[in-house]
Amino acid sequence: MKRVDFYYSTKLTFDDYVHDHSFALRIMPPVTDTQKITSCDMNITPYVSVKQTVDAFGNNVTAGYLKGDHRFLDFEIKGTAEVDNSKHRTDYMPCYLYQSRYTQPGETLSAFYNEIKVKCTGTVQDRAEYICAALSDRLSYEQGFTDTSTTAEKAFSLGKGVCQDFSHILITLLRMDGIAARYIAGLAFCDGETHSWVEYWTGDHWEGIDPANNCPVNDDYIVLSQGRDFRDCAIDRGVMFGKHTKQLQLVRSILS
Amino acid sequence: MKQVNEEYFMQAVGNADEINELLRRYGVKFGIYKNGVFNEQFFPFDPIPRVISAEDFRAIEKGLVQRVNALNEFLFDIYHDKKIVSDGIIPEDFIYISKGYLAECEGITPKNKVYSHISGIDLVQAKDGEWYILEDNLRIPSGASYPLIARELTRIAAPQAFSENRIVDNRGYAELLKETMEYSNCGGIRAILTPGRYNAAYFEHSYLAEHTGSVLVQNDELFVEDNVLYQRTYSGSKTRIGVLYRRIADEYLDPLTFLPESLIGIPNLMEAYRSGNVGIVNAPGNGVADDKGIYYFVPKMIKYYLGEEPILKNAPTYLPFYDEDMKYVMDNLEKLVIKDVAEAGGYGVVFGSDLTKEKLEEFRKTIIAEPRRFIAQEVIDFLDLPILDNGETVMRKADLRAFVLSGEKTKVWASGLTRFSRNPDSFVVNSSQGGGFKDTWVLSQ
Repeated sequence: MKRVDFYYSTKLTFDDYVHDHSFALRIMPPVTDTQKITSCDMNITPYVSVKQTVDAFGNNVTAGYLKGDHRFLDFEIKGTAEVDNSKHRTDYMPCYLYQSRYTQPGETLSAFYNEIKVKCTGTVQDRAEYICAALSDRLSYEQGFTDTSTTAEKAFSLGKGVCQDFSHILITLLRMDGIAARYIAGLAFCDGETHSWVEYWTGDHWEGIDPANNCPVNDDYIVLSQGRDFRDCAIDRGVMFGKHTKQLQLVRSILS
Repeated sequence: MKQVNEEYFMQAVGNADEINELLRRYGVKFGIYKNGVFNEQFFPFDPIPRVISAEDFRAIEKGLVQRVNALNEFLFDIYHDKKIVSDGIIPEDFIYISKGYLAECEGITPKNKVYSHISGIDLVQAKDGEWYILEDNLRIPSGASYPLIARELTRIAAPQAFSENRIVDNRGYAELLKETMEYSNCGGIRAILTPGRYNAAYFEHSYLAEHTGSVLVQNDELFVEDNVLYQRTYSGSKTRIGVLYRRIADEYLDPLTFLPESLIGIPNLMEAYRSGNVGIVNAPGNGVADDKGIYYFVPKMIKYYLGEEPILKNAPTYLPFYDEDMKYVMDNLEKLVIKDVAEAGGYGVVFGSDLTKEKLEEFRKTIIAEPRRFIAQEVIDFLDLPILDNGETVMRKADLRAFVLSGEKTKVWASGLTRFSRNPDSFVVNSSQGGGFKDTWVLSQ
């Protein structure tokens, strides 16, 4: 068990006034078998009334609507968690076994899977770790080549990507191998922004694996949201009106 | 036809041109997108009504109520405990590969557990008089307004046809729809959401709004605040919406939950819905129950959930997913009709008898490669109905879309949309494929 203080903030700045701005945030870490949230404060500026719900995947959703003109939206969370990965999460959903929007394999991923599948033997954990290592040999971590809309197939054919791409590709391969897998968005000691990793279903519980670092997940990770792929987990989604053409997003996260 | 008073019945027929002219004037249109171009067509009306005897209708009615009740149970089960899967009635694959299954709807219970408020069930009558279910439409089945307005106009053109025959009045549809919407109302006004003027069924949206006393809205006048859905009013205030009969597809409903690029949706509508602050008619996620692959399992659902024998039959259907069925399909492809489960509106339907030897061989390979993508059905020799073609009566294939409404009770509207194929060689009657429609008379005795 580890006590972790967490802080996360996003500053959204627009180059002109926007209005009728609806948003949905997934930044309140859920209480799970492996993470106890002992305190968590959220701040959103400008002031806006918000409502909390829990979505289909077990994520805390904070929804709000800013009607009047504004040029920025800032939100932050600050709190303390007790993380204990010696315990296990068991919130299984069958949909995690099936490919989703970002994870549909194309030719290159199918070919790669065929190449590695002969060596993919043993327990679910052995197979998952083998696939993760094989992926880590093939893909290099480089920023600036992919974005949040990049699919697993696209990133894999580029041969480079960031944690989101690593996670999507690993999920594709695990699901091709008959292992249920889900996407996790969260905070980790290794990353100054948000991080993403993967959980796979062993048959009776979830195990975390971090494909961007090719290592198992330990108590240095805090889950913010989970789902089939990035689309279910986006930390912030919003729709707004205005003449703005650019938005600047600054993200910071600190674990201590 | 013996049960109806022929003389007055023919009055309606004699006034066909006048009725079609009235329909044109009322703007009874059907829009079609083809190759990216929007075309509006008049939906041709044939004045010879389909007549269903009271006895026949009672049997159909019982069967439809049973079927829709089972489908509603199925939807609740799939988005909660999934017992029908764990009990081995339906293989898991069929649920989760279906495009209509929306994981985002897991755990949501709509008000009063009604998922399919308005079900459009397509039936055909075979030559031996037996009725068969062709497909279930539980998402946003359209078409109820066409027989409604046709009836209204026929009553004007040929009043005696109705005074001299015992026909069940079908004008209660709006009242029935209103009742159904009210049963799912979470507090507020009723609204019908249309994607706008260029939608295929815009005529219907406006017609139903007017007749049910609902406001007709587009997304730009709606917003969600504190997880409550509101309509902006001209004076700058807001009116709460308690039930939304939406005529846009699930994936476009809420850009913050589904397709982010949707410009016709309402941000955070799903949050309001999940919180129980607004009813959505029909419930998002219903597509999993009207999937062509799931159709095969509906009779099994009726037994499983209701413990009853199905009253209405499915057309004999084979799933190439099962080895035994695959063998049958391979051996009999030339006499079967094959449907692509992902397509709708009469697209992706292939008759084995239309294919050449080479094409059949090619198609066999496609089916073997993707067995889950197709279902195969026996071609039902359905009853031809008379239609008027340039003053002559000719016989054409026709089906019936029955509308089943689920409020406090499940009720079948005593009318329906009879669609026919204008092409003598075609079995496909969908309006998007150029078919026409008739009024459907249900006799009261």
